[in-house]
Amino acid sequence: MTIALQVFVTGLAAGGVYGLFAAGHTLIYRLTGMVNFAFGDLVGLGVFATLLVLAGTAPVTQSGAHEPRFLGALVVGLVFCVSAGILTYFGLVQPYLARGSTIGWVAGTAAVAFAIRAAIGAAFQRSSYVFPDPLPFHRVGHAGFIRIGGAQVQARAFFVIGLALALALGSAWLLEKSRFGRALRAVADDAEGARVVGVPVDLLVALAFGLVGAFAMIAAIAAAPGQAVNANTGTLLGLKGLVAALAVRFGPPLLAFGAGLLLGVVESAIANVHLGSWQFGPSYREVLPLAFVLLLIAIWPSREALEEQE
Amino acid sequence: MSALGQTAGELRRAVDEARAGWSRVAWITVAAVALAPLVPFLSLPGVRLDSLADTVYLAVAATGLGLTVGAAGLPSLGAGAFMAIGAFTSALLVARSGWPLGPAVLAGAAAALVAGLISGGIVRLRGAFVAAGTWLLAWLVWLFLLAFPSVSGGSQGLILPPKTLFGLNATPTVHFEVALVLLIVTALAIAAVRRGAPGLELVALRQAPRLATSLGVPLGRRRLGAFAASAFVAGLAGALSVQLAAVADPTAYDPFLSFKLLVAVLLGGAAATLGPAAGVAALGLIGLVSDPLARALQLPLERFDTAVAAILLVFVLALGGGGIVPWLRRFFPLQRRTAQAGLVGARRGREQASAGPVLQAIELRKTFGGVVALDGLSLQVARGETVALVGPNGSGKTTALRLISGAEPPDAGRVLFDGRALTGERTPDRVRLGVARTLQATAYFPELTALESVLVGRSVRRHFGGAIRTALSTPNARREAHDSEARAREALDLVGLAGVSYVPTPELTTSQRRLVALAAALAGEPEVLLVDELAAGAGSEELEHIAEVVGRIRGRGIAVLLVEHNLRLVRLAADRVLVLAAGRSVAEGSVAEVADSDVVRRAYLGTQRL
Repeated sequence: MTIALQVFVTGLAAGGVYGLFAAGHTLIYRLTGMVNFAFGDLVGLGVFATLLVLAGTAPVTQSGAHEPRFLGALVVGLVFCVSAGILTYFGLVQPYLARGSTIGWVAGTAAVAFAIRAAIGAAFQRSSYVFPDPLPFHRVGHAGFIRIGGAQVQARAFFVIGLALALALGSAWLLEKSRFGRALRAVADDAEGARVVGVPVDLLVALAFGLVGAFAMIAAIAAAPGQAVNANTGTLLGLKGLVAALAVRFGPPLLAFGAGLLLGVVESAIANVHLGSWQFGPSYREVLPLAFVLLLIAIWPSREALEEQE
Repeated sequence: MSALGQTAGELRRAVDEARAGWSRVAWITVAAVALAPLVPFLSLPGVRLDSLADTVYLAVAATGLGLTVGAAGLPSLGAGAFMAIGAFTSALLVARSGWPLGPAVLAGAAAALVAGLISGGIVRLRGAFVAAGTWLLAWLVWLFLLAFPSVSGGSQGLILPPKTLFGLNATPTVHFEVALVLLIVTALAIAAVRRGAPGLELVALRQAPRLATSLGVPLGRRRLGAFAASAFVAGLAGALSVQLAAVADPTAYDPFLSFKLLVAVLLGGAAATLGPAAGVAALGLIGLVSDPLARALQLPLERFDTAVAAILLVFVLALGGGGIVPWLRRFFPLQRRTAQAGLVGARRGREQASAGPVLQAIELRKTFGGVVALDGLSLQVARGETVALVGPNGSGKTTALRLISGAEPPDAGRVLFDGRALTGERTPDRVRLGVARTLQATAYFPELTALESVLVGRSVRRHFGGAIRTALSTPNARREAHDSEARAREALDLVGLAGVSYVPTPELTTSQRRLVALAAALAGEPEVLLVDELAAGAGSEELEHIAEVVGRIRGRGIAVLLVEHNLRLVRLAADRVLVLAAGRSVAEGSVAEVADSDVVRRAYLGTQRL
């Protein structure tokens, strides 16, 4: 029971971040019919830009950040993430969508993904880095751990879960109520129709491209001090988000967020839970959900996913 | 003496013929292939033979991927995963179970083939899903290798003992020659498949999937074939290259490998069989330049390689180029040999035509949501009869055709073909049985000529022209290809378009494109032809031509069910008319009878008087 709670909370915290990536993937798919393979790396770019401003490329300690400096670094990171996303859209996505060339945007976004990963790897050459923590979680509970009925849970986990939920609900509200959101929904329903009635489709989609990156990046940074980060961090988060989004077949963004939460909990359970003497163990944590979703779309695809046939 | 002279004369003639038939590119290719095996014995400065052999293995995998990306048009980001599967399967068998090299390599390729078949369900999906699925696969395999050091040998990798290959010590030289042979065989096989009927069908599916499947081309099966073949080739290349490296290192199978293969295909040109190999060569040359540069700048080498490949690809894509090989071709204009007129084979022996209607629909019902599209429609068409289905928009005409052709199952009711109930059969099965349909939309294959478009319709009559037989060019496959072409020409002739056989479809008029689609359906030798809106937008002269074509089709004993808005065509071509309103038949009879009926006027115009 105690371990179950620990697994659940840890999983939710990881899943909250996955969920924002999943919501971003599904929103972009619904707007454009494409998958941004550089999504995770664009966020990784923002995270490492933040780290660069905060601490350079040298190793840092957990408590190396002060709040004003941290906020400044965060803004720089967000600017990097959003503008790189917008540039990617205008340079490597929109031209190919207009031409109807799938291979173009697939290869283009994958190229951006690997180029960013290479750039981060070249600047940050250690195998992993510690992300400085602006919030003094180590002072909460026992060195950052809270005891709930025998279970040890990172205090940060609750903060990450709350923040991810707030971001997800906030973006859902934005999509539902704001003019920007209404216009986006119009584009998702019928891009040509929206264009005809004067909605600046490309500009809106480019903004959405940047903004989903910003939302995901804030969640990723909130969770970052909890574990080591490296050039693969962003890529893997993007991948997990895609897995969750595919699991709900690019359904509504909030559903995708839920799938992300579930993916986090499932991963955590695979790594820790054992039934009697039998358990999967941490090695299976990443591969099992991936394999499951791959088989899911290969064997049991949704009708909308099928290539148009007679 | 005279015998010698004769022989010399024959030889000279053979060379002349070959020279006439081959383009300059072909000669250059042959020369390059003939010289390549000598490379290991030249001891070129600065070239390491093992990395050269490894590059050729990479070229083999890329050439295989060319089939998936170029011919089938599937954006695969997972080719490296199949190389990894082939590599680690063979490495484990050699290192742990002590298998000899040959069987281990084959087992590796087989494992990749199985993985391709299992994950191959995604080929039925839209491009975005194919890309996402293969991306997942690439990461899955890599994460698996990292998470299970027991399989992958962890950070040191699996050390492989030296082995023999074909009785020779597996030195880099031997590997180089093996890789070269493999490359040539793969390229020849893929070129043959792409030129033959399977390649034509893949292209048709890529350009207009709806039209191609309506002609009976099985989308899932064709694409899966291409995808699995690419996986097999990649697995083979991976299994051999890992033996060359003598160590199986998981870090070498980062998803970047998959991306690199895709870059090679696009860089060299996906449209050409040799494009991917040229792309790998180009990447290798760039590596020769970029490696010293990276060392000079003190950058980590592999990362730099990555960035260069990514940036290069972005440039190629941004320039909208087709890649190196198509670009080079502009300087060597290929004379495409026009296929010779085929030998007309014996007509397929039709079973004794039974009396009575060949097509019967009984009480067909279909609802979409709450809307009743068809409400108990019954009809029948006899051989050599043309029945027109008319009615206002939304009266269920097209739905009737979709149900009869098997595009959708009915909610209730039956379709009988020659007295036999069609239930589980989907479109390709029904086309094969003899129920063909043309689409209302004017879809066409923009990269094919009129004749090639019609040949796509022959796919349901192929028996010997499968990918493997086509690649081997068996006598049966060749005979069948000739026969197919003759039939396709016959069909084009029937619709009066024999004169435009070699015209690319984008240059045809809309009305001609419709007729090409009709000829493609006819090329499948149907007994029942369902025609949807043949005359839409046709001028009056064209209309008469179309009526004549329908008459000729009827003359062949084919039962025609014509959905038509153009009442003039109905008047000219139909024997019998069936009027549909709100999903049910409201009148039936000869053209004259129906035209005078009150029911019809009401169905079209409502109760108001003109």
